[in-house]
Amino acid sequence: MPNTGGNAVDIELTINGERTTVEAGSTDDLATVLRQHGYIDVKCGCDGGTCGASKVFVDGEVHMACGMAATDANGSEIQTVAALGAQDDLHPVQQAFVDNFAVQCGFCIPGMVIQAVALLDSNPDPTEREVREALDDNVCRCTGYQKPVEAVLDAAGRMQGEQSVAADGGQAVSAPLRGAESTSCCGGGCDE
Amino acid sequence: MSNDDETAKADGGTASQSETVEDKRSEEHPLEWDEPENNSKAPDERDSVSHRTEKYDDRKLVTGQAKYTADYEERYPDLAYAAVVRSDIPHGRVTDIDTSAAEAIDGVDAVLTPESDAVPDTKYTSAGQSYPEPSPWDMHVLNEHVRYIGDPIAAVAAEDRATATAAVEAIEVAYEEYDYVTDPEDAFDEDAPQLFEDSEVENEIVGHDYGRNRMAHIGGELGDVDAALDGDTHVHETEWETIRQSHANVEKHTSLAYTNEDDRHVLITSTQVPNHTRRQLAHLFDIPIRDIRVTKPRVGGGFGGKQAMVVEPIPLALSLATDRPVLYEASREEEFYAMRSRHPMKVKAKTAVTADGDIEAIDLYALSNTGAYGSHGMTVAGNVGSKPMPLYSKVPNARFEADIVHTNTPQTGAMRGYGAPQGTLALEGHLDEVARDIGLDPIEFRRRHHMEVGDLDEIAGMMGGEGANRRIRSCGLDECIERGKDAIGYDDLEQPDEDHLHRGIGMALSAQGTGVAGDELGAAQIMMNEDGSFHLQVGGVDIGTGADTAFLQIAAEVLGCDEDDIIVKSSDTDVTPFDYGAYASSTTYISGMAVKKAAEGAKARILDWGAKLLDEPVEELETGDGTVYSEGSGDSVTLEDIGYEAAYGDDEREHILGKGTHCTEESPPPFAAQFADVTVDETTGEFEVHKLVVAVDCGVVINPGMAEGQIEGANHMSYEMAVSEGITLDDEGRAEIADFDEYGLPSATETPPIESILVETHEPTGPFGAKSVAEVPTNTVPPALSNAVRDAVGVRIREMPITAEKIKAKVDERKD
Repeated sequence: MPNTGGNAVDIELTINGERTTVEAGSTDDLATVLRQHGYIDVKCGCDGGTCGASKVFVDGEVHMACGMAATDANGSEIQTVAALGAQDDLHPVQQAFVDNFAVQCGFCIPGMVIQAVALLDSNPDPTEREVREALDDNVCRCTGYQKPVEAVLDAAGRMQGEQSVAADGGQAVSAPLRGAESTSCCGGGCDE
Repeated sequence: MSNDDETAKADGGTASQSETVEDKRSEEHPLEWDEPENNSKAPDERDSVSHRTEKYDDRKLVTGQAKYTADYEERYPDLAYAAVVRSDIPHGRVTDIDTSAAEAIDGVDAVLTPESDAVPDTKYTSAGQSYPEPSPWDMHVLNEHVRYIGDPIAAVAAEDRATATAAVEAIEVAYEEYDYVTDPEDAFDEDAPQLFEDSEVENEIVGHDYGRNRMAHIGGELGDVDAALDGDTHVHETEWETIRQSHANVEKHTSLAYTNEDDRHVLITSTQVPNHTRRQLAHLFDIPIRDIRVTKPRVGGGFGGKQAMVVEPIPLALSLATDRPVLYEASREEEFYAMRSRHPMKVKAKTAVTADGDIEAIDLYALSNTGAYGSHGMTVAGNVGSKPMPLYSKVPNARFEADIVHTNTPQTGAMRGYGAPQGTLALEGHLDEVARDIGLDPIEFRRRHHMEVGDLDEIAGMMGGEGANRRIRSCGLDECIERGKDAIGYDDLEQPDEDHLHRGIGMALSAQGTGVAGDELGAAQIMMNEDGSFHLQVGGVDIGTGADTAFLQIAAEVLGCDEDDIIVKSSDTDVTPFDYGAYASSTTYISGMAVKKAAEGAKARILDWGAKLLDEPVEELETGDGTVYSEGSGDSVTLEDIGYEAAYGDDEREHILGKGTHCTEESPPPFAAQFADVTVDETTGEFEVHKLVVAVDCGVVINPGMAEGQIEGANHMSYEMAVSEGITLDDEGRAEIADFDEYGLPSATETPPIESILVETHEPTGPFGAKSVAEVPTNTVPPALSNAVRDAVGVRIREMPITAEKIKAKVDERKD
């Protein structure tokens, strides 16, 4: 696949644990280069660093890949959302997003999950306010922020070995896993 | 006021005549619905429906493995990339397009202009609606007469995105500039610059008057509104204004076109309306419908912005011209200035109310700015009246009128709520004011008048066209109000200690529809595999809503199988049955009922085979836990045994199939009661929204987790309408917004906590009692917040957004 802009140079990246040399145009952003090499889990919702969907770890720091020149990542270790967990073995943050119905169209979710994992790495027991601040430059149009915030708080609880935590307002934020009996739910008539 | 009186006034008849009319209407719209016994299940009898079933696609979504349209690019090594030259003047005629420099760029494959053979000259509308299309054919794929900054003029295909962009920048366009107009009231003036000659439009809409830039005028009346306004009543009049809101779908409009080895023209595209898009492309390109295949992968949000063929003609034309696959992905900047937005409107509300607080008449008038083109213009405006006004269907005199006017501003279109947010702001803000003016509690005032089970709603039908009279068979408004009040703490609100801070609560009601009454069709097919698993093929379109999951829950509930045993395939026009698409809150209700019917068809065949294998009468048998079992003998046979026997047994073999198709005249309203809790600083006008609560009656909830997500997301979008500027325009109608940083979408820290409450009712016309949920909570925050500010500091903001500056100005005005 041809590069998208500027003179091509070879850069070395370690992407999700695999060391590779890729060709990148001097004006290419990192998201474009990652996507060209098959990392379609890096999503592009804007054209440069304003929606948060393309967030990845670059040497352990969260970056919007679409807002970073690929050549600036030369020599870096990149982690995308795909590396966090497999479909049958999700990371606790991914699992919490699923269980809390924090996902609708899913386009913003890779960036949200990366940001949430970064938050919980540095602050394992955040307040609701701290979660909101962490997600402040991640745009979600479908769900708004109520369920993603609940999911991150739930994930924090799980990662600390708890089953669930309650968000402000006292709403239960844990949900039965798929296949589990959902006897507690009457379909909306209850006060659960 | 009785229904008889209402009917008499509506028909201008005598009392005895009106009884006859009422009898006839009761017959046409009976309260009792012939509901199949299996459609109503007590909560503890539901095996799949009403459970928090994991969303079907979630594991792929959270690991980033789900594919959206742009993710297919790696499959096509010879893919070309499209970019579009757009008008940078508000109004004029293209006199010359110099493409020579662009064509000389290495890697440029094709440059198309309005003159190119591959570019159809056919007029069309981008609106993805039923047929005949209720929007005017006033657009061209590429334009010589340009009507807004953003109108497409030329398109290029190139080896990569950067080359495509460079080619667009190298194209020189010369114009003859015309006068332009950006304000809808100015545009409506007879001397205003005219956007369309009559000859430039086909399929014109009722009430069009292009000499005054009017694309449509609609209206309808029940009773005699003028007589009520002139009577012995208090007449209140208010005017409201709404923003130009962007859909801000995080996945941009994206479409990939190619012609495959079987000569089929394929579009992989981010759409809400695959079947409509196929029909529209056939019309536009003069290709038989059968030769076009539209397939929808995962979609990154639509909200109405993709209930339109916005971008698909560009890659198809370029693909036909280059004989290569072509991908067009709009830029984020294009999303804000050249895709679609919510119609900004001014809505006037007038009521006649007796001294006792009885509403004698409601009169709404909307002036809708449809922008440069008329897609969805008439139908959105119609819903300004036909969605919120039925809340008060007991009111004997009602009138709604709207003028839909062109300006040289960006295109508008369908957007979640579809006119109802604009109408709900006007009506619910207005009634709050009226109640406070006459000294009634705003909630009690609503309770006295709101719709109830048994009402015949004639307002939805009074304008003809899409609307139809309807009998109300489920209504949870009282419980929505009660539970919402409790959750917001209505009765024990504590005022802040500081004298300059004031806390208030506002409430607003809302009703929507469930599908377009009488104008929907959904279909589904279920095929059983020999191992007892199923393929569900359904036209219904999951654009991130979770529709695929709702479908499989409905199918699993009927079939008595494990949810994991159903594979869902939706929205591929070559493979899946027909569907109108994801709009008008129709998917669960219409497509879901088609799924239910398909599952029932398959189940009937399964039971027949069970009877054969168990040697018992079919009436004794039921499905459950992946078996057919006998309630009498306790014997059972697995679906897998049935599957193998049906496919490979010695007797006459059969592929177990079920088919369902569903259309209906019904469109039962879901309801919402919205509450907003706000503290306002009267010295600065600054305000803090502590909490939003919205209680929704969407019938029987198919999946509570998904429904809550719909409600909270809709409420976030609604909150944005209350507090953000939307897409602002400069004097030439140029969008001043280019990216998310400039667009005022409330962020995680700027959005108050939102509590969603599900109030269950049973709607007998819906699958397992379901109604819609997606739109109704989009309508309610602007009026609830306006009412809350009024409650807190006594001033009224009628022009959205609500800002500290506006509040302070009103407070200061009052002091003077």
